Amino acid sequence: MSIMQYNGGSVIAMVGKDCVAIASDLRLGSQAMGISSHFEKIFPMTDRVYVGLPGLATDVTTLHHQFRYRLNMYTIKEEREIEPETFAHLVSSTLYEKRFGPYFIEPVIAGLQKTASGDFKPYIAATDLIGCLNFAKDFVVAGTASDKLFGVAEGLWEPDLEPEDLFETIAQTLLNAVDRDAYSGWGAVVYVLTKDKVIKRELKGRMD
Amino acid sequence: MSRSYDRALTVFSPDGHLFQVEYALEAVRKGTCAVGVRGKDVVVLGVEKKSVLQLQDPRTVRKVVMLDDHICLAFAGLTADGRILIDKARMECQSHRLTVEDPVTVEYITRHIAGIQQKYTQSGGVRPFGISTLIVGFDPHDTRPRLYQTEPSGIYSAWKANAIGRSSKTVREFLEKNHKDDMSRDDTIKLTVKSLLEVVQTGAKNIEISVMESYGKITSLDLSQIEAIVAEIEREKEAEAERKRSRLAATAAGQAAMFAAGESSAQ
Amino acid sequence: MDVSFAITGKGYVIVAADTTAARSIVKMKTDEDKIKVLSPHLLMAYSGEPGDTVQFAEFVERNIRLYHIRNPHGLRPQSAASWIRRTLADSLRSRRPYSVNLLLGGYDTSEHAPHLYWMDYLGTMVEVPFAAHGYGAYFALGLLDRYHDPEGSLEDGLATLRRCIDEVAKRLVVAPGQYKVKVVDKDGVREIAL
Repeated sequence: MSIMQYNGGSVIAMVGKDCVAIASDLRLGSQAMGISSHFEKIFPMTDRVYVGLPGLATDVTTLHHQFRYRLNMYTIKEEREIEPETFAHLVSSTLYEKRFGPYFIEPVIAGLQKTASGDFKPYIAATDLIGCLNFAKDFVVAGTASDKLFGVAEGLWEPDLEPEDLFETIAQTLLNAVDRDAYSGWGAVVYVLTKDKVIKRELKGRMD
Repeated sequence: MSRSYDRALTVFSPDGHLFQVEYALEAVRKGTCAVGVRGKDVVVLGVEKKSVLQLQDPRTVRKVVMLDDHICLAFAGLTADGRILIDKARMECQSHRLTVEDPVTVEYITRHIAGIQQKYTQSGGVRPFGISTLIVGFDPHDTRPRLYQTEPSGIYSAWKANAIGRSSKTVREFLEKNHKDDMSRDDTIKLTVKSLLEVVQTGAKNIEISVMESYGKITSLDLSQIEAIVAEIEREKEAEAERKRSRLAATAAGQAAMFAAGESSAQ
Repeated sequence: MDVSFAITGKGYVIVAADTTAARSIVKMKTDEDKIKVLSPHLLMAYSGEPGDTVQFAEFVERNIRLYHIRNPHGLRPQSAASWIRRTLADSLRSRRPYSVNLLLGGYDTSEHAPHLYWMDYLGTMVEVPFAAHGYGAYFALGLLDRYHDPEGSLEDGLATLRRCIDEVAKRLVVAPGQYKVKVVDKDGVREIAL
């Protein structure tokens, strides 16, 4: 078994109409044994940038702290909040720094990017464990249930979903995908980002 | 020219002095006074506290610090240098426990601190520590109180009672005159306060006293306790002065009487 | 082969660990204390590679003490856990990592609440209501899912712990004979005879 599957866990992000959503399961395991059903893998970086970190749990914590540190330094030096695209490159370069001894994490980034006209454009991206960026217009997935997530998302997602519809779509995609994965599940959490608010909802899932 | 750039700052003068070390001692002499006194089974540290500014938090200015459960240190000189040396000493205390499962002895940590201070008189690109320290405590499994001193040069020595810092000479001479072996707890504290009062004009509020009674048992006296001791000393001094005055008056009266008697007999 | 459990309840954490020190198939000692008292309100049960365990536990102990001497207040359980996790995570990518698994139980005297952290040698850390390490975990976690009460009294907690120990004794081939049990609550740390 790969080190990427050691603790289990999955993350998905989707684009909607003037909104984005990012969701993950809450399981932390030690191989097949479940340890905790409250292990969060999605972290707010700013009010408009969220990052999900599925993979080896020690690196989830280490990278979260590392990103928080680098982001604080950026905010202090630039005297402004980071944009999602800039943050995606910060993630990418942080991971590539460890090219030959990587963090075993495949981050997912979701945010709302400020445009020249002053409104916000949905932005999602994912990278592999050494920081190769992948932008997408529809959805990105990562973690032990990523193959299942691809399948369900492919069937459920459609363009220009309103926040509440996007929530339903991402929640159903995640819950149904992790039910087919032994290493993901044990509850889920969904964030929907819109231009004036962030909605966080914790979902109950199958506990088996 | 680049050769002289990274050479040690402390080099011998032609007549064998290390000026940088002597300047460090000068910094010590400008520092606030600290006194250590050993009693029968107690050792006391007393320091002169600079009065803090009106808006300053006095708890953040500490001159007596713990190195480990059973060892205390007071210093005189540059406070900033003191912090660094204290930190190194604390690390050594824990490191010693980790490697040999035993707490350090007072002599060991004194030797370690003096060793660091010596290193800074001989290494390149550094200056000596501008502090002298008084280190007190009890060795593990031992009841004898210990008192050591270190200097910027790296010298260390054991004492019955000693003072460092501003006017330390006056205080040391006072201690030499008044120190007795096997003093009780109260006598030791009193002697410490008394000796400090020689140079601290402002009294109790500028004195800080820490008492170590046995391994790991440290108490620092609060202001009211010190005030009580100062008041007691004042009373004793007053009584002493009173006795002197009355004795003087008595001798004067005696002399006057003798003089009067002599005059009358001459008639 | 080490087995350790920890259970939180109303205002306390119970930490239990077996007392066997073994080499290969031989018991070398049956009264080994594998729970370190890190500070007046912090307990740490350690298991894993013999040698590494004691080395690491003592290293942590000395650093927690050093922090206490340097600063006016000691580390709270959350902060101590975070520091220990970071130390393990850094060690994991060093030339020779420590293989030590930990259960960290503490009582936070400023928010008056118990905390329990599950930690492994990789630097994985999570706060949990109950936890176990070693072969015992396979038997105990199911029981704890069923019987654990986060608002239970100390007696309830000890009864649940007894269930775990009995189950391990019944089903595990290499079950340890004895356990040391320590509790941390608002009054500090104390040992309890089961």
